[in-house]
Amino acid sequence: MNTFSIKRLALLLRRDFSIGYKSVLIAMAAVGGFVILVSVLSTLGRELGPIHEQMYVPLLFLGGYIVTSLIFKELHLNGQSVFYLTLPGSSLEKYLSKLLVTTVGYAFGSLFFYTAVSSAVEGINRLIFGYGHPFFNPFERSTMIFIAVYLVTQAVFLVGSVYFRKLAFIKTNLYLWLFGIVVAILVGVIGWLIFRDYAVDRHIELEPYFQRLGDTGQLQGVLEPMAEKFWRVAKVLFWGVMAPVCWVVSYLRLRETEV
Amino acid sequence: MTESVTETGIEIKNLCFGYTKERLFNNLDLSLRGGSIYGLLGKNGAGKTSLLKLICGLRIPDSGACSVLGWEPRNRPASLLEDIYFLPEEFYIPPISGELYRQIYAPFYPRFSGEAFRDYLGEFDLPEKKRLSEMSYGQKKKFLLAFGLATRCRLVLLDEPTNGLDIPSKSQFRKLLAGAGQEERIILISTHQVRDMENLIDPIIILDEGQIIFQQPMYEVTRCLQVEIQMEQPSGDGVLYSEKALGGYVVVRRNESGEETQLDLETLFNTVIANRDRIGQLFAARSSTGGAA
Repeated sequence: MNTFSIKRLALLLRRDFSIGYKSVLIAMAAVGGFVILVSVLSTLGRELGPIHEQMYVPLLFLGGYIVTSLIFKELHLNGQSVFYLTLPGSSLEKYLSKLLVTTVGYAFGSLFFYTAVSSAVEGINRLIFGYGHPFFNPFERSTMIFIAVYLVTQAVFLVGSVYFRKLAFIKTNLYLWLFGIVVAILVGVIGWLIFRDYAVDRHIELEPYFQRLGDTGQLQGVLEPMAEKFWRVAKVLFWGVMAPVCWVVSYLRLRETEV
Repeated sequence: MTESVTETGIEIKNLCFGYTKERLFNNLDLSLRGGSIYGLLGKNGAGKTSLLKLICGLRIPDSGACSVLGWEPRNRPASLLEDIYFLPEEFYIPPISGELYRQIYAPFYPRFSGEAFRDYLGEFDLPEKKRLSEMSYGQKKKFLLAFGLATRCRLVLLDEPTNGLDIPSKSQFRKLLAGAGQEERIILISTHQVRDMENLIDPIIILDEGQIIFQQPMYEVTRCLQVEIQMEQPSGDGVLYSEKALGGYVVVRRNESGEETQLDLETLFNTVIANRDRIGQLFAARSSTGGAA
């Protein structure tokens, strides 16, 4: 039914870039200025630790989550929503254009930008002061892991961006906190029910419990493989299930949006 | 073989829709074909804008069938959107130059004509290179109208298009639109400004209480209804509608003499709203007797 065309996807990406490039340039100037300032000041103070890894992580996560939360802003504004939804392009193309911008586009764009800015400032530091911080290595394993984690977790903010009309970033965070609190309460209640016999003055003293399990061989025989399985399931849920579920949910929401 | 109306027009059957439990449209039927500039009239809150939104897939009906150019609009298929241009009353225009706007948005419409666009801008006396955010409300609207007509979409939906236009622009608008009608194109204009649309919109569609209560071409209107001005207050069964005007009373009666008179849209609208059942019967009787009633 002509639901996907590379040409229309490219046109949508071009449109987003043409309309939003000024905001991107302003954000890049602000971040670049901050990086230069921090780098020069800390070089002056001879604090020469690996600051660039430390500064890139908040740029990736915080910046990426904010950008993602704002990506469907036009869907919630009067006039703009009509304009966007009647723009010739299927819901899938519109969704993919936003997904590409906020995942691969932002992750690798910010990586490239940060590498360029940090390299430039460290080069200047070495020219002026003769020393500087270690150069930022974009191919570091930890950086790649951070990017992978970002690509998965940003999907939650994409859902928030499609669902919430206003303050999507704040509301998504609040919902995440709420979710965390509910999970913590559930875990606490279940833990209490299982281990309440080991309660000593409002604390649960588990050492005798584990000692008993160790003595009977249950710790090694049953609990450890169970914990390993749990960990494996959690990994699958995180790396393989969470993002696709969020993508499907946000895509369906976009498709069903009415104005 | 003629193309079916569903592939070239709009076919709505038993459509139900509402924002709350109370329905705005209840089993609404509407059929539109290409080659006309339809005028959609109705009181405030009658659902004119909602109907336009349903047609272009911005709203999803509760039940019933809605086919637009052979597509179901609720899915907002790209092929349909390439053939629809909707200019809402409250529109958005990005803060870029007109030239960049054309470069970004024209490729979305496969039949867009750059030449026609330049001609329309010329008609409206608008510079293409000016920043759109620096234009007045009326200029922005004219820019979007020019763009919309240049897309050569088969369906153009305009919601209150003359609101905010100055007097010369209104006549430019009428001239432009009259020339933009093509054999397969449907232009549907929702408006309160009936005087701006005089001699432009035809057929006339009137929406009231969730139903299309009137859908007739103007030649049928002039054959069925007769309007005259008389000094005395009219009375009697033959009077369908009357209102006090300068120099007497405007009276609308059933046209029994066969003489054609010019009934303005405002009077027509008021007549239909005041006498929806009698008007309905009158036009139904005429169509059932093949125009001899």
